[in-house]
Amino acid sequence: MEHFGTSTRRIQKFRSALLNIEPAVCTERAVLATRAYREHEMDQVVLKRAYMLREVLENMTIYIEPETLIVGNQASENRAAPIFPEYAMDWVIRELDDFDRRTGERFTISEENKQVLRDIYPYWKGRTLQDKAYAAYPEQAKRIYDLGIIRNEGNITSGDAHLAVDYDSVLRKGLKDVRRRAQEALDKLNLADYESMKHSFFYRAILIVIDAVERYARRYADLAGELAESATEERAAELREIERICRKVPMEPAHSFHEALQSVWFLHVILQIESNGHSLSFGRFDQFCYPYYRNSLDEGADPAYLEELLENLWLKSLTVSKIRSAGHSRFQAGNPMYQNVTIGGQTADGRDAVNELSWAVLRSVARVRMPQPNLTVRYFSGMSREFMAECIECIRLGFGMPAFNNDEIIIKSLTDRGVTLEDARNYAAIGCVEVGVPGKWGYRCTGMSYLNFPKTLMTALNDGVDVNTGKKICQGSSHFRDMESFEDVMKAWDATARQLIRVGVTLDNCADLVVEQEVPDILCSALVDDCIARGKHLKEGGAHYDIISQLQVGVANLGDSLAAIKKLVYDEGRISRDELWNALMTDYEGADGERIRRMLLDAPKFGNDDDYVDQLLVRAYDTYLDEIRHYRNTRDGRGPIGGGYFAGTSSVAANVPQGAGTCATPDGRKWGDALAEGCSPAHSMDQNGPTSVFKSLSKLRTDQIFGGVLLNQKVTPALLEREEDRVKLQLLIRTFFDVLHGWHVQYNVVSRETLLDAQRHPEKHQDLIVRVAGYSAFFNVLSPQTQNDIIARTEQQF
Amino acid sequence: MIGHIFNIQKFSLHDGPGIRTTIFFKGCNLRCSWCANPESQQMRSQLTLDREKCAGCGSCAALCPSEARVMTDAYPVLDSEACTLCGRCVEACPSRAIGREGNDMTVEEVLREALKDAAFYQQSGGGVTFSGGEPLLQQEFATSLARSLHENGVPVAIETAAAVPSERFRAFLREVDYVHVDLKHYDSARHRAGTGMENEQIIENICAVRDSGLPYLVRIPVIPGFNASLEDAEGFAGLLASIGVGRVQLLPFHQLGERKYSLLGREYAHAGQPQLHREDLKQYQQIMLRHGLDALL
Repeated sequence: MEHFGTSTRRIQKFRSALLNIEPAVCTERAVLATRAYREHEMDQVVLKRAYMLREVLENMTIYIEPETLIVGNQASENRAAPIFPEYAMDWVIRELDDFDRRTGERFTISEENKQVLRDIYPYWKGRTLQDKAYAAYPEQAKRIYDLGIIRNEGNITSGDAHLAVDYDSVLRKGLKDVRRRAQEALDKLNLADYESMKHSFFYRAILIVIDAVERYARRYADLAGELAESATEERAAELREIERICRKVPMEPAHSFHEALQSVWFLHVILQIESNGHSLSFGRFDQFCYPYYRNSLDEGADPAYLEELLENLWLKSLTVSKIRSAGHSRFQAGNPMYQNVTIGGQTADGRDAVNELSWAVLRSVARVRMPQPNLTVRYFSGMSREFMAECIECIRLGFGMPAFNNDEIIIKSLTDRGVTLEDARNYAAIGCVEVGVPGKWGYRCTGMSYLNFPKTLMTALNDGVDVNTGKKICQGSSHFRDMESFEDVMKAWDATARQLIRVGVTLDNCADLVVEQEVPDILCSALVDDCIARGKHLKEGGAHYDIISQLQVGVANLGDSLAAIKKLVYDEGRISRDELWNALMTDYEGADGERIRRMLLDAPKFGNDDDYVDQLLVRAYDTYLDEIRHYRNTRDGRGPIGGGYFAGTSSVAANVPQGAGTCATPDGRKWGDALAEGCSPAHSMDQNGPTSVFKSLSKLRTDQIFGGVLLNQKVTPALLEREEDRVKLQLLIRTFFDVLHGWHVQYNVVSRETLLDAQRHPEKHQDLIVRVAGYSAFFNVLSPQTQNDIIARTEQQF
Repeated sequence: MIGHIFNIQKFSLHDGPGIRTTIFFKGCNLRCSWCANPESQQMRSQLTLDREKCAGCGSCAALCPSEARVMTDAYPVLDSEACTLCGRCVEACPSRAIGREGNDMTVEEVLREALKDAAFYQQSGGGVTFSGGEPLLQQEFATSLARSLHENGVPVAIETAAAVPSERFRAFLREVDYVHVDLKHYDSARHRAGTGMENEQIIENICAVRDSGLPYLVRIPVIPGFNASLEDAEGFAGLLASIGVGRVQLLPFHQLGERKYSLLGREYAHAGQPQLHREDLKQYQQIMLRHGLDALL
């Protein structure tokens, strides 16, 4: 769309080159890491990890794409996924022959590379994080994990990430300052002291990785210099500038914007070589990069060129990749890396933080229009109308960005948990919606195990027995057929949920214990306060703040199920307990099952501003909020502020596979159907428009679910066509945030494909409303001809 | 007091300033051939039947206590005189083919629903809009509801066809903050042909709105074959200029209500006709602009 203009030819070429890549699997890191591990078997784990990173950075293939001004690659080709054998190898070997047969998240791999991986497999068998974490799970926890009731596969097959490191300090002081601090700390240690001796390994490890980073940057400087020899004059000049910059950053402080972006990118890509944790985020990009943007502008740089550099960086972020097991991929549809860029919000003293760079970031992301990076705008009541309007222009492009996080509730949630006001005002979105303080927060401000709410409810109704498998997983109170009152249902929910929450924490702590022992990240820890001061890596309690969240899945389904049970079985007595149970167990088979299902579907649904269901959900969720407060993570008492758990719903695409393994539920959902996403209403169940959705959401205790109250909303393109309607959309969002304390919202523009699908499957799109001046109608009641007319006028955005 | 309401639509964006909730009143005294809300015309509640969904099983007819449902070859026919609107057939239909249009609601019930979005009205300068149907046919209810909304600080707008006696109309203007008034045709005879009534009373009421000091907007639904020619644009422009109305909004003919006719078991005069779009009315708008009329699209 012309609003944001078009990218330069260089960027367009780079973009289409990246889009045309068939992602492959890269085995380099696997081979180099294996070599380092073998050579350093005898070393302390932190040193082993440092030598591993050094081995990879020194020997991996490097290249400079012909179009790029920013250099640094993760694997031997762009978008190729490295293998990280220390985390998990069983699934890699098991699925080798299927990588290129997947229907989604497909990767190619040569026969030769398959053999490379098979050759290193024996070394890793039984030694990976996954092997050791699974072995450490207590019996009951293992059973529940195996049954898929609580999932944390991601936590034992990957690194953690889910944080933003302190890029600000690196840009201001250079990485050499980190080296200095580590060296000084090491020099001061009394090695005769037990604790000090333990810290010494960590400091030595930091010095090793910083040297390795320095050499990695120099390799690019050398390469750029070499390439300049044979390049066109114009490109040679660029390459010489790249060479100059790579000899300077990230070791030295940055001065120009180009230097700052290169410095950040080097670290950002290396952190994704060190570990395969995703959601490694940039933090408050428009704040910490602003001084360098300003320097370049003041020195006469063309603003268009600075935006080209930004677009270049975003395209580089797309070159990073990750392969997950087929099972885990379903939770992460679209192979996302969730590298979040946060802009906007407020300054440390509470003023509007939007600056020229915020605008430039927004424009550049809009022009590149790629799934990476994930752009979050921190909403703040003092944000200008103009900037909000620009955000809505970006939303119009239909790629779901930016998302809004709300300062008005998040900052207070953070200070309530012991974060200083200054740090709280500096929060950034991590991954998708969750938040942390950049450079001060440990891993996984969210993203520990997934608890499936509707499945928990069904277990509660089934006397502690998993419906799918018939296995007893926790202590039951009674069976639904014998529950005389709705209070019995609530009691059963409460008792069951509390038991499963406890198991979830057990699984998480086990995973954390083994991550701490097996795969500490050295560079990452060196870039987060107060790891160096404490001599501890992140998993030992090095972070200034360390509060983590689990994920609750199927939130709306829980509320809807409880409302249907209460209304139809207990309040009105229109369905007997036996009838309902039978219908659920037969997946609503037969005419009678279908009749019952209809009644259930007609019961009040979350998302329509109906207290009947909304308050039931609030009450049921309170069980979770109350129980989770009692648990501590593995860093508690070891240094960080916090040390506990909280709630969160940033469950990404997990609602689909979680639903696939969940039996029919009392909200009328059939066996295998997707659960509701995040905290959004169940699919198609919000039929009262966006204000009602916002009202329902606002009834949840959003200040306590600060692992993210994810809300996806859709909007038809027609609603965004006129300026006056866009202004109203802005007012709608502002009301949600300023008055109703909404947490997050993200807009997806309804695409032509969705409309076509709605025409074919009207039952799946009952919430789709089209609006024209003075009138709105549900799409699925329109005549095919009118539907076609609307479809024809819905532009193809991509 | 009971009102006959057929829909309460939140997040209405085109029915007055800001974000609004539109209350659709059932019952209308015009019979516009293009009406997009045919379920609004009759004041009494109605049952609808979706023939595409109906399996012809006859279970509705079998359990109707008033014997108002009779099966024909394929569909159940409804004797609306005999139907007591008990709703059993709606609930029993295994194909969900039977629906109901219209609810009898108290002022308090409507108020409670409308106030749920008060935060949005307040922040956006919005409020509640009475639409229909013709809200003025339930004037007592509308007045009471408007007063209750005002007591709660919620501004009220009305969308009216204004085909009611002047005195009643003027009285109601005192209850609202914003007026949308429709004008379907500048020529009285053709107005009657399209809507069933002449336009003199309407024009008189538009003048009353003009003199009331309230913000208002005259709206013209532009319907092919009825008032969509360029001569019609001239005609409207002349009439509006003569009564001193300076601003008008053109509403392109749309088909969002088309399917409702078959649900109500009624014929639809404009079946299958293509919709108009804003760009189709550019010339029409130009003519009005040339006459000094601020014509919005």
